[in-house]
Amino acid sequence: MAAGRASAAGDPFEALGDPNRRAILRLLSEGDKAVQAIAAELPISRPAVSRHLRLLKDAGLVAEHAAGTRRIYRLRDEGLRAVQEYLEGVWGEAAARFRLLAENTTPDGPGRRAGS
Amino acid sequence: MTEPLRMTFDVACPAEHAFTVWTSAIGTWWPAGHTVSGAPSAVVMEGAVGGRIYERAADGTEHDWGEVTVWKPPRLLGYLWHLNADRADATEVEIRFLAQGQAATRIEIEHRGWERLGDRASGWRTRNQAGWQSLLPHFLAAIGPVAGPVTGPSAGPAPHQREGDRQ
Repeated sequence: MAAGRASAAGDPFEALGDPNRRAILRLLSEGDKAVQAIAAELPISRPAVSRHLRLLKDAGLVAEHAAGTRRIYRLRDEGLRAVQEYLEGVWGEAAARFRLLAENTTPDGPGRRAGS
Repeated sequence: MTEPLRMTFDVACPAEHAFTVWTSAIGTWWPAGHTVSGAPSAVVMEGAVGGRIYERAADGTEHDWGEVTVWKPPRLLGYLWHLNADRADATEVEIRFLAQGQAATRIEIEHRGWERLGDRASGWRTRNQAGWQSLLPHFLAAIGPVAGPVTGPSAGPAPHQREGDRQ
């Protein structure tokens, strides 16, 4: 379970912070796919897809195996936890920014605190 | 795995103000990195049940994120959330603003709906795979945009419309 985030090579948070990589995860959630099949669905080149896949693999979100000359990618079960943690991080960032705003504005406008 | 995501924190202001900042001032604090366009000119939460939650991109395009389902200022707020998905794929956010005195409010966030989606998929190949298949799109929808044509037929993942300069 701790494998994902602690892995030396990749950070799932960085891995999830890119729309193309999220698109790849979404595609793989439909089933295991070869690089070619993934590239066919995305507006980016195959080498770019391979780079994204490598990053996702380093982050522990996907795994691969060979089938003949092709490499088949699948989602790793542990990865879903990483996605959930990422979402918690999103809420955490939002909450921190919200608090900053709420505590430094008043109903009448920014800049003054009630009772100060 | 599919339990609601919960978060609680305290903020040093009255509940009324916290509710107002969360809703009508959402555009001042919602992280721009977690929007469809990445740099919206406005983020709007309309203050009523049925109110839209949407982002207006710099070019005027509007991206719907959700819809207000509970509007009880200053204590309770609920909305459907589908930042990057169809409304049918929405998860639910509920936020309680608990007054802790004159100038302190406890905020309780519950982001739920994953478990319902998980149940719907029971019967897929394996439970874990079902978890991925059913949950991942919704997690991704809550996180932000997904690139490419995989989420919709045209340029945008969410239903959107062009509007002139309303502001």
